[in-house]
Amino acid sequence: MKVLVAVKRVVDYNVKVRAKADGTDVDLNNVKMSINPFCEIAVEEAVRLKEAGVATEVIAVSVGEKSCQEQIRTALALGADRGIQVETDGKVEPLVIAKLLKAVVDKEQPQLVILGKQSIDGDNNQTGQMLGALANMGQGTFASEIAVEGDKVNVIREIDGGLQTVSLSLPAIVTTDLRLNEPRYASLPNIMKAKKKQLDVYTPDDLGVAVTSHITQIKVEAPAERKAGITVKDVEELVDKLKNEAKIIS
Amino acid sequence: MTDETQDLIFDLTLTDDQRMNRETMQRFATAEIRPIAKSVDAGDNPAQTFYPKTVELGISQLPIPEVLGGAGMKRSPSSNALILEDLAHGDLSLALGSISPVAFVNTLIDQGSDAQREKYLPLFCAEDFKTATTALLEPRATFDPTEPATIVTTNGDGFTLSGTKSMVPLGMDAELTLIIGRMENGDPAAFIVEGTPAGMTRTAEDNMGLHGAQLATLTLDKVQLPASALLGEGPFDLQRFIDLSRVGICALAVGTCQAVLDYVKTYCNERIAFDEPITNRQSVAFMIADIAIELESMRLMTWRAASRAEQGLDFHEHAYLAKVFCAEHAMKIGTDGVQLLGGHGFCTEHPVELWYRDLRAIAMLEGMASV
Repeated sequence: MKVLVAVKRVVDYNVKVRAKADGTDVDLNNVKMSINPFCEIAVEEAVRLKEAGVATEVIAVSVGEKSCQEQIRTALALGADRGIQVETDGKVEPLVIAKLLKAVVDKEQPQLVILGKQSIDGDNNQTGQMLGALANMGQGTFASEIAVEGDKVNVIREIDGGLQTVSLSLPAIVTTDLRLNEPRYASLPNIMKAKKKQLDVYTPDDLGVAVTSHITQIKVEAPAERKAGITVKDVEELVDKLKNEAKIIS
Repeated sequence: MTDETQDLIFDLTLTDDQRMNRETMQRFATAEIRPIAKSVDAGDNPAQTFYPKTVELGISQLPIPEVLGGAGMKRSPSSNALILEDLAHGDLSLALGSISPVAFVNTLIDQGSDAQREKYLPLFCAEDFKTATTALLEPRATFDPTEPATIVTTNGDGFTLSGTKSMVPLGMDAELTLIIGRMENGDPAAFIVEGTPAGMTRTAEDNMGLHGAQLATLTLDKVQLPASALLGEGPFDLQRFIDLSRVGICALAVGTCQAVLDYVKTYCNERIAFDEPITNRQSVAFMIADIAIELESMRLMTWRAASRAEQGLDFHEHAYLAKVFCAEHAMKIGTDGVQLLGGHGFCTEHPVELWYRDLRAIAMLEGMASV
């Protein structure tokens, strides 16, 4: 079984992001970039499927500028067998990414596509679902457990207030939640070996997809700074403030 | 630090591999080392819980030839120095312990015989942690690392070793120890010692810092070793071993000093006194700036020595200058880190007192962490 995993290059989760002074975008100058944590979980899950003998090949795909090859290499170092980069310029919106991934799915015919549920930069939470619709595949989103059985994949989903188990016919789409697994460290020998693995580069033209834009980013601003707190004398004053100033109890 | 750039005097561009390695190391140091540093310092034993985890990183496998189960990469002192720096950002003592088997492997690759490489290197490619270490230091006044007083006498086909080795990382548990001594004719020699032969006693040391490295003193009382224990065929190149170790020790100092700088920068910007962050006081700001300047100098000197070693150029002087500079400034940065936190620096609640205690050791360490 072939498994396709999508990985995205995003600002590292440890970085405190800042908006540019003119408010047009997030400032990415000299900022550490990494593989999106949810995508990393997706890669780990695919590699585990391979180690368990369920998957035969794991392909990591990323859409982005040349720099995203770094994240594909991270996926290869974690255990993916080969990589695909779809080279695009600047910001690409989820629908276009889903269309590009659909074209890769058509080319590679994977039985299972695993994506992160969302990326920590755009927080869109759209690509997996859109890909499911475009490729006409069943989808198990926010997965905390995956089990492939015959021509089905059972996915335990994290939903509000509980868990839901769904059974999907393969080929299927799964998007990962935080608790699906704990990704391994890319060992140093594997980082070296990753360099020798195949990495194909396509343009959107090669895949017959037009990169269009339906979304214009108007403004990016930092959250309002919190005001300093105050100390109250006693419970009475606290209740009074909550009632009359904050108006959160009545 | 690439080997393609020999015509440049000094290139600081990391290779893709080095960058990715650093990412793994930094993540490991943040997630696995820093959180346990305090409890290990207080006495928790990392032998079973922590050191086995380092196998996942595969550091010692890197330079081991593929036929012996390793990754078959070129020996890279530069990459090793970066690894040490990143691990020591988590904790100096655990970094030193983690790297001890690597130092053993590096020395075996550099100076061992084919038979020794074939016998021992595959052990470091297995999934369990192989405890190995190198022992050079000796507890005596005016110790000169180039003239160890551990005396080796030939004894029929084998050798007899007598002397004392101190501050041996992982010294209580090491299954393989490279012991450096001196032949009767004055030539240095190194021996691969398996387990604890008769006449060898291990004593845990009680030091002010470096607890996680599990330093021990090894007493050798007429220890009999077979001829095959002698490392390599020719005389042991002790100076090269010392120089490579110095680069490693400097890299450890750089990593921990970076931890100090990162910590005091955040702390002093957030610590409010007299209604403003204490960094608004020049006496505080200048001190932090000095740490940054000294640290960068330590790093550049270390990287230069490592880079020259990697290129096969002479690096003896560079390693020595780096070691002297790092020893002095690591101590100062350790002290300043505690000072910048004021009274809080004295509390074990903050890690600066631990770093202060560990960094005091840099000046003394020799013959370990060979890159």
